[in-house]
Amino acid sequence: MASNSKPATRKAAIVGGNRIPFARSNSTYGQASNQDMLTATIDGLVARFGLQGEQVGEVVAGAVLKHARDFNLTRESVLGSRLDASTPAYDVQQACGTGLEAAILVANKIALGQIESGIAGGVDTTSDAPLAVGDDLRRILISLNSAKTLQDRLKAIARIRPGMIAPEIPRNAEPRTGLAMGEHAQLTAHEWEIGREEQDELTVRSHQNMAAAYERGFFDDLVTPFLGLTRDQNLRPDSSLEKLAKLKPVFGRALPDGAEGTMTAGNSTPLTDGASAVLLASDEWAAEQGLPVLAHLVDAQTAAVDYVHGGEGLLMAPVYAVPKMLARNGLTLQDFDFYEIHEAFASTVLATMKAWEDPAYCKEKLGLDAPLGSIDRSKLNVYGSSLAAGHPFAATGGRIVASLAKTLHQAGPGKRGLISICAAGGQGVVAILES
Amino acid sequence: MGTTVLDAPPNMAALFARAALTARGRGGDLPDTRLARTGVTVEPGSLADYARVCRFPLSDTLPATYPHMLTFPLQMALMSDRAFPLALPGLVHVRNRIDAVRPIGSGETLDLEVWAERFASHRSGATVDLCASVSAGGAEVWRSRSTYLARGAKAPAGAPDSDVTVDVGDLGHPVATWRIPDDAGRRYAKVSGDVNPIHLSGLTAKAFGFKRAIAHGMWVKARVLAAVENRLPEAFTVDVGFRKPLFLPSTVTLATAATGGGWDAAVRNAKSGTEHLLATVRPL
Repeated sequence: MASNSKPATRKAAIVGGNRIPFARSNSTYGQASNQDMLTATIDGLVARFGLQGEQVGEVVAGAVLKHARDFNLTRESVLGSRLDASTPAYDVQQACGTGLEAAILVANKIALGQIESGIAGGVDTTSDAPLAVGDDLRRILISLNSAKTLQDRLKAIARIRPGMIAPEIPRNAEPRTGLAMGEHAQLTAHEWEIGREEQDELTVRSHQNMAAAYERGFFDDLVTPFLGLTRDQNLRPDSSLEKLAKLKPVFGRALPDGAEGTMTAGNSTPLTDGASAVLLASDEWAAEQGLPVLAHLVDAQTAAVDYVHGGEGLLMAPVYAVPKMLARNGLTLQDFDFYEIHEAFASTVLATMKAWEDPAYCKEKLGLDAPLGSIDRSKLNVYGSSLAAGHPFAATGGRIVASLAKTLHQAGPGKRGLISICAAGGQGVVAILES
Repeated sequence: MGTTVLDAPPNMAALFARAALTARGRGGDLPDTRLARTGVTVEPGSLADYARVCRFPLSDTLPATYPHMLTFPLQMALMSDRAFPLALPGLVHVRNRIDAVRPIGSGETLDLEVWAERFASHRSGATVDLCASVSAGGAEVWRSRSTYLARGAKAPAGAPDSDVTVDVGDLGHPVATWRIPDDAGRRYAKVSGDVNPIHLSGLTAKAFGFKRAIAHGMWVKARVLAAVENRLPEAFTVDVGFRKPLFLPSTVTLATAATGGGWDAAVRNAKSGTEHLLATVRPL
């Protein structure tokens, strides 16, 4: 046995989190880049836990919509932050699962004893979005760049046509299906017969829960104001069923037989800008620093579904991931005190729960003898979720991990929480936290 | 029967011009000539352009529709020749069947042969099959059969009935939506050399009786195949019926169902549901 033997695996502690309020697209953060927001968020975390000039084991973060120049976004943010510049960093990207996946990666390295502390984060902007030149122009510019003679350069320039100048704007559509995520979600909502009213009810509850959480100061040590914003801009404390009922469906063009859509701008998350970060550590490191341990990241699981040709819904992968993780941990779906099901759309949350309740689906698709069953709605998204806060793709995981860890800590030791996040590409990331 | 071996691909634009100028006064039986090329290799740049336009991943294996890029010019030469009984302008591609006998490496040296057969009578005219065979090292690796309809034409006495129907099973709701831009025909013409004016612009299409430019059938077929290219058997037949013309620009949907060890697929207009293409893919 080598003298520098590694410790056995241990559970990574969640010490705390920080995020900036989420802003609606092309609004308050319109001039802020991903790097600006991620740096500010890391610095907020540094200030909260006294990490100025300190080196943490690793910083892991990502963005879904990323400029080509941001190839090293997280490391550049660390270099611009108050952390010790010798803190290593890397980028990850798993669509809307990015933030939670980053936390899992940091937690796993802590569990293996490879690092003692780490920061997991995520950021996204749909305002300062990367525009690409069209593919035709891009190819000409590349050949222009590699042209050796003046004649070759002129030849390349001569191929440019005025129509090529229009930029390509990133679209919120699946590359293989050409359908917007909302269209996919509407197909699933239709298949699971998720009604308009139950979606609106879930939406109102999200806004009310989040407004109440702000009122009682829940977010005081989770959110740092940024560019004059102190609360999530999308939050509507006065949201009501009557107001939501007035909105017109915005998706549904892919529905069969001219069926009408049920998803509106109210019960779908809007495009948002924002960033979040979570501090994870070993219990020993937290104790040495005199920092609290809110909860531990107990386990995690990913899954993916064939939404292209396999007949499964784009956002249904978490439905598959959760039973695998429960079985491994000897838990049932009811063994949790809090549930965090990411509100990509209200219908996504409802379809997820309906699928877990469906005996035929659980048997045929999930290979279970019995359905997972229903969950107590009063334990679901208790301080609001993405419908109220907004959803800057990669920042959602960090928002949820920090808020849930705090909720579990407040509820006392031995409390358990489930996180379920769906992601583009038919993927899902889920995790268990325990206080 | 004679086989003529060409040492270079024919100039397609010139063939279209010749076919248009010599359209009148055609008739008689199918010629039994065969056209061939030997020692043909694929130019990497052309393959990359083709793959990009049809949405195939660029790899070291030819897309199953790619050998048609090599054989089609020969078929054009056959059809534009005065000895061919049907006038090329007005011929409508109604069915295409490809047998991909085995995957073909992009670096392989290929021998091509094309001929016409099966002059058949159709309820609205006559059809003829343009066949192609591609071999490597003396063994056939790929073959195809393109059925063209000449409306109002008459097949010779005793001709068999046309077989232009491709049937698919129940496909369920669409798996993809494609926005087809108005330059889709020009883009495919550039990589395929199929510069038939009905694909190039509204104006040139009108001259041949179409209200707008229409997409190349073989391009739509290629895109369908590209959508399932990572889920295909090693050797397979892809049989496609071209239904109503796909006018440019359009938004269409793709529906697929895994069946019979392969696929059934349909491309339809997203709004009206008009069927543009029905396809079956089966192991060979």
